[in-house]
Amino acid sequence: MRNVYAIGIGITSFTRLEFQLVEIASYPVMFALRDCGLKQVDQLYVANMGGARLNHQTALGSAVVDSCNLLPAGAATIENGPASGAAAIKEGFMAVASGMHDVVVVTGAERMREVNGLEATDFVASLTHPLAEYIYGVTLPSLAAMFTRLYMEKYGVTERHLAMVGVKNQNNALKNEFAHLQQAITLEGILDSEEAFTNNPYVAEPLRFFDCCPVSDGGACVILASEEVAKKTGRPMIRLAGVGQSTDTHAVLARKDPTDLLAVRRAAAQSMEMAGVKPKDVDVAELHDAFTILEIAESEEVGFFKKGEGHLALERGETELGGKIPINVSGGLKGRGHPVGATGVAQAYEMVYQLRGEAGERQVKDAKVGFTCNFGGFGNNVICLTFIRED
Amino acid sequence: MEVYAYKCRKCCHVHYPYKMICHGCGENKHDAFDLVPMTKDGKLLTFTIVHNLPPDFEVPTLAIGIVELDDGMRIMGQLKVQEPELGMKLKGKVEVVRHGDYTDYHGMVFYAA
Repeated sequence: MRNVYAIGIGITSFTRLEFQLVEIASYPVMFALRDCGLKQVDQLYVANMGGARLNHQTALGSAVVDSCNLLPAGAATIENGPASGAAAIKEGFMAVASGMHDVVVVTGAERMREVNGLEATDFVASLTHPLAEYIYGVTLPSLAAMFTRLYMEKYGVTERHLAMVGVKNQNNALKNEFAHLQQAITLEGILDSEEAFTNNPYVAEPLRFFDCCPVSDGGACVILASEEVAKKTGRPMIRLAGVGQSTDTHAVLARKDPTDLLAVRRAAAQSMEMAGVKPKDVDVAELHDAFTILEIAESEEVGFFKKGEGHLALERGETELGGKIPINVSGGLKGRGHPVGATGVAQAYEMVYQLRGEAGERQVKDAKVGFTCNFGGFGNNVICLTFIRED
Repeated sequence: MEVYAYKCRKCCHVHYPYKMICHGCGENKHDAFDLVPMTKDGKLLTFTIVHNLPPDFEVPTLAIGIVELDDGMRIMGQLKVQEPELGMKLKGKVEVVRHGDYTDYHGMVFYAA
C-alpha cells in the first residue's frame, strides 16, 4: 500500500444553511481545492445520509463533481448512516493507497433543518431495526438513554458527569467560528439551579436537552493524495496513517452486554495498529459525542482510559483543552453540530487543522498524532482514523 | 398475534430479530428457520421515557425498554408500567404499538407482573 496524505481541507458553518444540498457539499470542496492549490482530481466521494429523504436530492456525487468543475473525474455518493463521512474517507484512502488514484476529494454534507426537529429525529431513527426497534417509537436519543441508564448503574456515571461533557464541548465550540452552538453554558444553568429543569428538559430519560447534539446543516471536505502530490503542495505532511472499521449487531438488544461498544474497540485498535501508535501516543482526539454519554464510553473503548473510568478522567480535567488527552476541542458533535453525513469528514478536518498547528485559540500544543471515532447506527458501524504529522 | 423468533432447523440456534443466514452454524438456505413465538415474561434490563416521539405517536411521552425474557432472549417493547424500575418482573402482550399511514404495527407491550 502507498502512503496517503491529507493535503487540503474545507468546511462550512454548521448551522441552518439556506442553500441547496449540492451547494453545501460543494463549498467545502472549493475551499479545500484552494487550500492545496489543485484544480483537477481523479475521484470525488460525497458522504450524505438524508438527501433522498429530506431534500429530494439523489446522486450527489454527479451533481458536485460538475458544480466544482471536476469533470470527468469519477464520482459517487456514500451513505453509511451517521458514519457516512468516515466511510467515504475510507473509500478515498483505499483508492489512493491502492495506486488506482493520486488525488481523491472526500466531501460530506447534510441539510437536515429543511424539516422540523421531530421529523429529523424520525429520519435518523430510520437506521434502527425496522421490526425489532423502530415500530416501538425508538429514536436515537432513546437508544442512547437506555445505554446511559445501564452505564450509570454499572459504573457510577451521574447526570453531573453528562452535563460536564456538555459544558466542556459547548464551551470549546466558542473557539470554533464554524460551530453551530455559540452559546456559553454552565453547570448551574443546566443542572444546579431552579431554572435548570426548564432550561434543560428530558429528551429521553435520563438524557436531557443539553446531552444531545443539535440538528445541523453543514459540509466538510478533506482531499487525500499520494506522497508525490502531497510534497508538491509545500504544506505540512499530514498522513492518514490508520483506518479501522468494525460492525456490531444491527439491533442493540441483541448484544451480549449492551454497555459494550465492541465495534468502537475493534475499529480503534485496528486503526491504531495500522498507524503503529498506542492510545497513549494520541495528542488530540475527536470522538462521536452525539450524546454526552458517548464521549465518556468511547474514551474508554478506544483505550484512553480503563473501562468505567472515563468519567473520572473527565472529573480530573484530562479531556479538556490543555489536559492529558484533549477530546473534542472543536466542540464535537455537541457543540460544532451534527449534519450526519458531514460529521466524519469534519472530524478529519479538525485533525488536519490541529496537526498543521493552525488551530489558533483551540490549538493543542505540539499535536503530532490525531485520532477520530465516527460512530454509526447505535454503535453498529464504527470507523476510526489515525493521523500523524511527519516532520 | 405473536412476535416470532427464528430457530435454525439444523443447529436449533434461536435468533431475534430475524436473520437470513444462521449465526449458530452458518446454514445458508431459504427455509433454514422455524418460526417460534417469543416468550412473554421476563425482567426489565433497561428503559427510557421518550419525550421527543416521532410524529406517528399521539402521546406526549412513552416508556420503552429492553426486556430479558425468561428463556434468556431479549426483546424491545413498550412499557405500560406506572414507575418502571431496573430488574422488575414484567408480563408481555402483543398489541398494536404504532399506527402507520396504512398499517397498524403489532409488537410487544409489557405490564407489571
